[in-house]
Amino acid sequence: MISLFTETFLGVFRPPFRKKEFFQQLHFVANTSLAIIVFCVSFAAIVTILESSFHMKLVIQNDSMVPGFAAVLILRELAAIVTALLLASRIGAGYAAEIGSMQITEQIDALKMLGIDPINYLVVPRFLASIAGTMMLTVIANVFCLLSAILVSQLYLGFTFGMFISSMHRFVHFQDIIFSMIKGACFGAVIPIVASYFGFNCKQGAEGVGHATTNTVVLASIGIIVVDFILSYTFSHIY
Amino acid sequence: MKFLAEIFGELGGTLLFLKTIMTTLVNKKIRRSDVFTQIWSVIIASFPTTAMAGFFVGAIMTVQFALLMNEFGALGYLGGLSTSATVREIGPLLIAFMLSGKVGAFTSAELGTMRVTEQIDAIRCLGSDPLQEIIVPRFIGIVIASFFLLGFGLIMSIFGGMILGDIFAGVNFQEYLRHIPTVVNPVSILFGTVKCGSFAVVTATVSTYKGFTTTGGAKGVGKAVVSTSVMTMILIVLMDWFTSFIGDIVLQIARGYRS
Repeated sequence: MISLFTETFLGVFRPPFRKKEFFQQLHFVANTSLAIIVFCVSFAAIVTILESSFHMKLVIQNDSMVPGFAAVLILRELAAIVTALLLASRIGAGYAAEIGSMQITEQIDALKMLGIDPINYLVVPRFLASIAGTMMLTVIANVFCLLSAILVSQLYLGFTFGMFISSMHRFVHFQDIIFSMIKGACFGAVIPIVASYFGFNCKQGAEGVGHATTNTVVLASIGIIVVDFILSYTFSHIY
Repeated sequence: MKFLAEIFGELGGTLLFLKTIMTTLVNKKIRRSDVFTQIWSVIIASFPTTAMAGFFVGAIMTVQFALLMNEFGALGYLGGLSTSATVREIGPLLIAFMLSGKVGAFTSAELGTMRVTEQIDAIRCLGSDPLQEIIVPRFIGIVIASFFLLGFGLIMSIFGGMILGDIFAGVNFQEYLRHIPTVVNPVSILFGTVKCGSFAVVTATVSTYKGFTTTGGAKGVGKAVVSTSVMTMILIVLMDWFTSFIGDIVLQIARGYRS
């Protein structure tokens, strides 16, 4: 898998650059997942803010810090990781099934025979599109997360819009959103590499494609969590 | 409009399927050995995944909470708080995500393959009920196994949190563990268990329904698998909010006042 990653990474700088495929994949990654992600992330934010209010009341007996606390949690962790896990199951499964069925119907061998590098043709556009798409979706997810958090804290916990924003100001820095974007990009890089690795090593038959898809979703999810841990640990020294 | 109608159709179909499973479960006899085989295979298949995910989730929660608690100067509460958050919320959610990715996708692929190769019709031809023979043992297996996996995952997450608390925040093991019982109460654990159970029911229902109603050959199986994982994720997040909401209301009624 590491060799696939290196080859893909080198392939990014190597011509021919396939713009059309890139934009097609970008459309697949970003546009078609947008509605699902916005929906899920908003609900996740609602649950987070209610839970963090519960915990604050338990420990320090008042919940005046909740907006800042929840906003930090949303920006640093929640939006990026929920987006990435959803994309892992959606995009990862799609890619693995696509490349896996290309492998078992010998379309990849056909590409090689035509002198087209399958990594350049299949993996590189998906890799770039997934990085760009996940980064954009993370930003959008952050926005919707905060919006729904504001809405819920106004309805249930009695914070006004201004209170939320001013409390946020004390905790959140501009670098948080940059780090969130970096996280999104790294998660986006994990998904297509895992998917195409399992797709290329797919065993014959319909069952092989099923196994490749399942393994992709599981391994991509674990990979995302591990990468998240490493990045959180690294960033915590920079704040 | 057509899109909305499709969503309602899917939802209704899934609920009706759940109803059929329930009536089969109540009215017909289920072979016990089948159920135990399913529980065992589910646990074996997802144990390493859950353990690893639990460990890293505990570690991430501890790092994030340590950064925040440092500003309040309440670093002693670190163990209690991150464990409480994991038990009530993150643990069940993460385990449900892992379960839907691994077991849900696998179940729907297996049942879909059975459907398109007409093995399910063959069972019906032999005079036995496919729901009783295949679906219900899987359903019960996934639901019961999820509780065991939740237990393992939470233990691993406490372990991960403990280690990171020591390395990163300088809270030693005794201090970390001492504050867990002060913050985590039995209600929280009950809450987490109920959540995990409801997520497992969602995963089991959707994956068996999608697998059972697969059409259109090998491509149909792939489609069923992808739509299973997407649909379970959405429904799990929805159920998460819903159970929090209902749990809050129940707690208010039990206490008699709004906290």
